[in-house]
Amino acid sequence: MENYSPIFKDLEEKIVSLILEAKTLEDLTEIKNKYLSKKGEFSQLMNKIREASDKKAFGEAFNNSRKVIEDNYNVKFTKLNEDKINEKLKEEEIDITLPGNNYHRGAENPFYKVKKEIEDIFVSMGYTVETGPEVDLDKYVFELLNIPKDHPARDMQDTLYIDNNSLLRSHTSSIQAHVMEKANGKPIKIICPGKTYRRDDDDMTHSHQFAQVEGLVIDKNINLGNLKGTLELFAKKMFSKDAKVRFRSSYFPFTEPSVEVDVSCFACHGKGCPTCKGTGWIEILGAGMVHPNVLKMSGYDPAIYSGFAFGVGIERVAMLRYGIDDIRRFYQSDIRFIEEFNKKVED
Amino acid sequence: MLVSLKEISKYVDISSLSAEEIAQRLTFSGIEVEEIKHLSTATGLVIGEVLSCVAHPDSDHLHCCKVNVGEEILDIVCGAPNCREGLKVIVARAGAKLPGGEIKRGSIRGQESNGMLCALNELGVDPKYLKEEQIKGIEELPIDAEVGNTNVLEYLGLDDTILDLNLLANRSDCYSLYNVAKEIGALFNRKVSIPKENELGTFEGKFKVGSLTVKCKQFSGKVIKGIKIKDSPKYLKEVLRSQGIRSIDNIVDIGNYAMLLTGQPIHMYDYDKLMKNELIVKDDYEGEVVALDDKTYAIQKGDLVITSDSKVVSIAGIMGLENVEIDESTKNIVVEVANFDHASIRRTSSRLGLVSDSSQRFVKGINPNQYNDVLNLVARLCVELADAKEISKNINYDEGTHEPKVIHSSYAYINKRLGTEFSKKVIKSTLESLHFAFKDLNDDEFEVIVPDYRIDIEGQADLSEEVVRYNGFNNVISSLPNMETTVGGLKDEERKERAIEDYLLEQGFDETLSYTLINKKDNELFNYINIEEGYVVFNPLTEDRKYVRKNILTSLLRCAQYNLNRKNEDFKIFEISRVQTTKSYDQHLAFAFVGKKYESSKLNAKEYNFFDAKGVFETILKMFNIQESRIKYFRIDSGNEFHPGRSAKVTLDGKLLAVFGELHPSIKKEFSLTKNDVLICFEMNLSLLFKTRTAQNKFSDISKFPSVSRDYAFIIDEKVSYQDIKHEIKKASGLIKEINIFDIYKGEHIEKGHLSMAINVILESLDHTLKDEEINVVDKKIRDIITMKFRGEMRQ
Repeated sequence: MENYSPIFKDLEEKIVSLILEAKTLEDLTEIKNKYLSKKGEFSQLMNKIREASDKKAFGEAFNNSRKVIEDNYNVKFTKLNEDKINEKLKEEEIDITLPGNNYHRGAENPFYKVKKEIEDIFVSMGYTVETGPEVDLDKYVFELLNIPKDHPARDMQDTLYIDNNSLLRSHTSSIQAHVMEKANGKPIKIICPGKTYRRDDDDMTHSHQFAQVEGLVIDKNINLGNLKGTLELFAKKMFSKDAKVRFRSSYFPFTEPSVEVDVSCFACHGKGCPTCKGTGWIEILGAGMVHPNVLKMSGYDPAIYSGFAFGVGIERVAMLRYGIDDIRRFYQSDIRFIEEFNKKVED
Repeated sequence: MLVSLKEISKYVDISSLSAEEIAQRLTFSGIEVEEIKHLSTATGLVIGEVLSCVAHPDSDHLHCCKVNVGEEILDIVCGAPNCREGLKVIVARAGAKLPGGEIKRGSIRGQESNGMLCALNELGVDPKYLKEEQIKGIEELPIDAEVGNTNVLEYLGLDDTILDLNLLANRSDCYSLYNVAKEIGALFNRKVSIPKENELGTFEGKFKVGSLTVKCKQFSGKVIKGIKIKDSPKYLKEVLRSQGIRSIDNIVDIGNYAMLLTGQPIHMYDYDKLMKNELIVKDDYEGEVVALDDKTYAIQKGDLVITSDSKVVSIAGIMGLENVEIDESTKNIVVEVANFDHASIRRTSSRLGLVSDSSQRFVKGINPNQYNDVLNLVARLCVELADAKEISKNINYDEGTHEPKVIHSSYAYINKRLGTEFSKKVIKSTLESLHFAFKDLNDDEFEVIVPDYRIDIEGQADLSEEVVRYNGFNNVISSLPNMETTVGGLKDEERKERAIEDYLLEQGFDETLSYTLINKKDNELFNYINIEEGYVVFNPLTEDRKYVRKNILTSLLRCAQYNLNRKNEDFKIFEISRVQTTKSYDQHLAFAFVGKKYESSKLNAKEYNFFDAKGVFETILKMFNIQESRIKYFRIDSGNEFHPGRSAKVTLDGKLLAVFGELHPSIKKEFSLTKNDVLICFEMNLSLLFKTRTAQNKFSDISKFPSVSRDYAFIIDEKVSYQDIKHEIKKASGLIKEINIFDIYKGEHIEKGHLSMAINVILESLDHTLKDEEINVVDKKIRDIITMKFRGEMRQ
């Protein structure tokens, strides 16, 4: 078998060395056009096959040589291509410490956070949420709640009146009066959040406008222990897992017995600290067993039905929870204040 | 109500109980002790006698004194004008601690001084109980004061501790020291001893009392003759001072003291000044009267007054008149002990703006069964302290009912209501301790007679409270209500509100809160959604909080202004609140874009514009699946809060849903916003959106066949709205799936008053590939609409 290799060897070596020297993809393309295209110098060598005696051997030698060239070419091409991409990527480099694009999430006034949290706790216990008018009739704010006209308890809350008969509700207990009126003597398990108004000067701890969440449960066999158990559960969810509640005797015209409810201080767990003024307890809400007169006026037989009610101040809870010093901050709505409460997921 | 422990200890045994113990127990059983006050905490005091008093050589007002304090004679420099030889004085020795600081040995302008001669206010006595000369000078002790006595506070009656009770409306009985004593006696199981009073009547007078109105069912009088007006004795002055009352003279003090002890307001008249031998209660008087405070009050029909010969002598239960006032020359008096309708007193007192110790007690209600005891107490004190000579029998008018209040209850009821397991013995002994007369009816049921001073007790629910407050709330067993299981949940409206809230928070809006009550000027702005009458507060605290707002936007802008004034720039805020007017009670949403928007940090600022608000609005509509065809945009043609060309009002099914846009320059000025404070603001009636019918999410087939897209560019009058073009084209064919605008241009090469618009229309069928002929028909229709209907000119 004749050896045709030498015919190709010179050119092969020349082309390979050119490929190895190539600096850019353009250099490679030039080599390809000059030597490897159909009319290229190397391809033209194939024409000599006509002169070859052993055509098969000639073809094999050509192919071998061409493969050497192509392999080198491919390796170089891949290399140069990678270089080019890397160079481009290098050019695209950015300052990764620049700020991220603006997908800013807004923050809620902590008032709303606490309002929703209280609602959600009671909803999870099977309560439904009810609302009612802010300008309401005397009947719902006072009379149906066992506070007839000229009752001394009316002095407990200085009320903003619209006229003789309508007023800005001074507590959310008015919503309970509406719900009871419509309930036709059926069991009730509700909470009623809402804004309330009193004829008070605004200062750090007083506000002519504030909000409460009223709770009301009516059924057969409801007792004061149920109120205690319910508020304990609420305190545990709202303040801390080990929260305790205690009752102090109090007076509200629409409940009997009436209690002030203290929660064990969640800041010091009852040891005594500035938050609880050293007592280990924080006054958190007023509550009691629904007064038989209130039941009677709304069509419930107090011999069969009983109920408990409580009212918790939203701002008060928020102030305790977040250590807010002044109730007016809620209503000034300073953006810097609101943005302090942007933690969406509370621990 | 102030309670002197020294005074109360006369009526209940409180030996070995600390003030703190008493306060704690009272507080937890419903009588809150707000404060424990010690009248004086001064130490190092001794009674002395000024042996000599000479002028200080280097001062025009100081004296150099030699003071005998028993075991030694002290040199003391004193500046009091009344300091003189022979005076018995209170000496604070060196080292004494007074409220104002410690007394130190020293030298005053070169003269040795080893202590201080004191005035009572320097020991901590409130100056309001002292006469002017007592404050200007040192206290002058009686001449028999014992020199060297170091129990000075006891000698002065200042060794007392005061409980300040914050009484709630139900326990008005504790405005009586006797009743506080009974309460303490019950809570600590201590002996109570209230003095029994005997009637001291010596003559049957001709004096008459009566009432011509049902608002006074009981009125009693007693004529006391031959009294002598003078100073009260030391002990009474001290009791009154401890109880927060200033001593006036023996007769006024007797009235106040009797009221403190019994809770019953007492009024006294100069017998000789009365027009007639009678006191009659009326409620039909009209006219002006001058009361003891020298002020004139207008009495109306319905007000209770006491009359004598039809002349008013007292505004019943509130204040006497000066025409029958007791003065230094008074010899004979009439004592009034009555019971007036609390509601009537409350109305008159609050209308006249006249509140007295007496009216406060009547307003809360008083014990109707003790008037004879009170009259007898007053008579006894008049004999003891005012040398009374003749005393009439009690003269009573009494149409009231005095049936004892009987309450029927059961042990089971008490425990069932409380969630407790109190034994029968505990329940029974509790009620008995609290002075209820107890009678078992059978194994479970019982009956009690309510003590007459407990006017707050009405039914068995009250008995349950007595039992639990007495024994402690720690006996209440915690449990959860045993009810049928219910599914809790938010109200529909609140659920929807929360969805919108979440969306806006995610979009970077901060959620604000503002006051419902605003001033007149603000109340007149931005009233587009609610044009009906709003509520106005009848008794506002200030003009700034007088009007119940009819929109939230004004408050939101005030909030923006507040923040801009504090250099908070570039923010988005929103509020969702109820807005109530005489006609509506709706939930509103307002939001505002303030300042600029940024790509990040402060990079690439862009100004907010109308379409930022519109975009948020459109998303909210999509959240509720509101079809575009139900929504219409109009220009705002009234008011000047919004930029007329860059604002809109929007209707849903023809009802006004929202207004929004850029602010009018004049409003910016009103809110002191600068040119740079871009403000795009928005308000909508959420209740209208929440109430409207909306389509549910439902699967509709997605076409398997290719859609066809066609672009149309045309020049058109700028007054033609895109809304109208889109609406017309959409009607052209059922094959039109989508229409989108992708270019709009105004300016060079376009005729003035015209603009160039380019829209893209997508055609699609669910059941076949569209044929050219079909497409061409629609295409021609669209072109016709543009050119014929809207007079547009197609561009190539």
